[in-house]
Amino acid sequence: MQEPALYAWGNRWFRWSVFGLGGLTVAALLVGFVWLPSVQGDFTAKGMWDSICRAAGVPSEWSSTGNWPKSSKGTTNVVLTSEMTRSGAGDAVGRGATIAVQQCSMCHGAQGMSDGNSPNLAGQYPEVVIKQLYDYQRGDRSSAFMQTIAQTLTDREIQDVAAYYDSLPKARAAPVQADEPGAPALVRVGDPLRNIVPCVACHGGIDHKIGAPWLEGMPKEYLLSQMKAFASGERRNDSYGQMRNMVRLLTPQELESVAEFYARREPAIASR
Amino acid sequence: MFLAKRLVLAHFWVAFVAFVAALVLGEWQMFVRSPLSAWVGDPEHYYRSVTGHGTVMGYVFPTLVAMGFGYAITELALKRPLLGLRWAWIGFWLVIIGTVMAAVPIAVGRASVLYTFYPPMIGSVFYYLGVVLVVVGSWVWVALMAINLRAWKRDNAGKAVPLAMFGNVAGAYLWAWTSVGAAIEIIFLILPVALGFKNTIDAGLARVFFSWTLHAIVYFWLMPSYIAFYTIVPRAIGGRLYSDTMGRVAFILFLVFSMPIGIHHLFADPQVGAGFKFLHAAFTAMVAVPTFLTVFTIVASVEIAARLRGGKGIFGWVKALPWGNPMMLAVTFSFIMLGFGGAGGIINMSFQLNETIHNTQWVTGHFHLIFAGAIVIMYFMLAYDLWPQLTGCKPLPAGLVKAQLWLWFVGMMVMTLPWHWVGLLGMPRRMAYFDFTNPALDGQGWTLIAGSIGGLMLVLSGLLFVFILARARRTDAQPAPFTFSIPVHMPATTPVALNGFSLWLALMIALTLVNYGFPIAQLAVLKETSVPAIPIGGR
Repeated sequence: MQEPALYAWGNRWFRWSVFGLGGLTVAALLVGFVWLPSVQGDFTAKGMWDSICRAAGVPSEWSSTGNWPKSSKGTTNVVLTSEMTRSGAGDAVGRGATIAVQQCSMCHGAQGMSDGNSPNLAGQYPEVVIKQLYDYQRGDRSSAFMQTIAQTLTDREIQDVAAYYDSLPKARAAPVQADEPGAPALVRVGDPLRNIVPCVACHGGIDHKIGAPWLEGMPKEYLLSQMKAFASGERRNDSYGQMRNMVRLLTPQELESVAEFYARREPAIASR
Repeated sequence: MFLAKRLVLAHFWVAFVAFVAALVLGEWQMFVRSPLSAWVGDPEHYYRSVTGHGTVMGYVFPTLVAMGFGYAITELALKRPLLGLRWAWIGFWLVIIGTVMAAVPIAVGRASVLYTFYPPMIGSVFYYLGVVLVVVGSWVWVALMAINLRAWKRDNAGKAVPLAMFGNVAGAYLWAWTSVGAAIEIIFLILPVALGFKNTIDAGLARVFFSWTLHAIVYFWLMPSYIAFYTIVPRAIGGRLYSDTMGRVAFILFLVFSMPIGIHHLFADPQVGAGFKFLHAAFTAMVAVPTFLTVFTIVASVEIAARLRGGKGIFGWVKALPWGNPMMLAVTFSFIMLGFGGAGGIINMSFQLNETIHNTQWVTGHFHLIFAGAIVIMYFMLAYDLWPQLTGCKPLPAGLVKAQLWLWFVGMMVMTLPWHWVGLLGMPRRMAYFDFTNPALDGQGWTLIAGSIGGLMLVLSGLLFVFILARARRTDAQPAPFTFSIPVHMPATTPVALNGFSLWLALMIALTLVNYGFPIAQLAVLKETSVPAIPIGGR
């Protein structure tokens, strides 16, 4: 007997496999998109079609209350990209130096090293300075001095200032190493069971994530006050709550030990 | 064999040497995280090692084994010289160059993104280009398998394609379509960022594309082992294959069902709709069908061998099995590991149950049992079985081979069963560091010690495997002709549908479009879904 051609309904392999697979697919679609959603209140609230759309991942509206935080104040609006990490050219550094001497050096020191408790800016990553200035400008980070100053700066001036500080030598030449003796456990390995990532995973040592500042040699009081501000929610301009989620669970003693560790400096101010 | 001996040997040797190197990395990962060792201090070293281990074990080793075995089958089953030998060597060298190109950035810490890539992390561009070259090299193999089958069919009109070649080409087509997902992800989403043209990436879409490859790749790894089950095991233990047709059906079912099910890896991903998650879960369950068909057929084939040796009774025949035969041992171990791993896999693929074990050590235990256990133990056997053909050596020493298999089986069980347990307790996978001083981890440290001991056994077994192969003396003696299993009843005619792939490829592609088309299209047009890339290993 001659076997029918493959692509013909007379061929039972063709018939059964196409009908079988088609039937199975339709049945699975019905269960997944109609039957299972039908027992979920949030899926069925707006009728059958909306329920199917939700199951497909495209609800007609994403929030039942409909009031999304549009551009809430206090959280950052800056998207950090790798472009912002590039060092500026010589002329940008020069222009930045002029602005810095006039507007920044009073608190942040003539060479970017603070004598008070303002943060050191010498050797700070450019994208950090850029992001914080924009956040001040927009009112997402609060400081009576900084908000006023930042509002006077143009985009180019902000980049110039960042390029200038990037060009200065840092307070400590090398970042903390993951296996550095004397480093608190929180700095080296974090605390996995509290979901706390080691500091060195973002702030340098193991890896440096864009937007995470260089911390070595910062004034202890500054580090402590910022961590406390993150923990209380007073400061909220960290992307995705990265810092708030880390420090919220730390005890005062832990905050103290981390701040103290990062504030230590080399005996003599090292060059880059 | 005709022309492909050196080719197959080259594939196997590179695969096995890379395999042992990656094995040592795996054992190091177990050891440094266990309470037996002081923590190395830098988690980046751990992730670097995981990336190396995964890249070799996931991309290089099984691909080379499948390619080498495929070339061997082409000559042994079709009984004619391989067409396109020069192209095969080009494919081989592409894989080698790709491996080296990927290995260097991994070794210097510029690509610690794990073999699953995980955008928005972005490693060195050479890592991705290396992986692309490995895949392109394997595509040469896919094309050669298709061409060789076509040429044979032209010269043997109306004859049934030998089962080994049928499975082999099914595996090649499966891989061709499977690898497309990761290829799209790398070429269109990752490379523009890695090359510096862009600094944001649509991580959600990239994950969906990777899931396209991520699950079906396992069935590509599995194909050589299944071919060995059907076409080598029954012959090696002195039995007959219970059903040739069942083998063909299993292979085509894998082809159709293994592809469009990868979203079950994304159950916790918010960007995919729940309906599609269910759809993929349902089709994942269908993969149980060819798996059970195979287990049934092979157990039936094994029973035939036992009865031929005088086995009696409903279960009495089990005693009459050739337990001294390494192949018998290997297939038993393989099925035990497949059983445990498969049972765990049913939990992974269930939309709801998955929540209990998602991203825990359970998952690591699961895929090591299935791939490194059930599948790789058959890779050993197919190498042992082919070695006399390839080198002209005498059959390999059964005692050493059995010792190697026992070490592998026991080591794998000792390593993976505690992983399952501790996964249920909630231990996450991909953790570089466990703080065993924390009382909350009390009673969990032993699982990593067990893992280190099991891992050590696996390293020893791997070394023994390479030793057995290397010790075999190469001769110019003509080996006895290689044979594949003979079915109990060879069907007089094989249906057209089971002698070719066009229908099944059409169904595979159609099902992929149904299961993946909408989620991909929807994510591709959704605005503002890209996130800043996170460069790995230096600003």
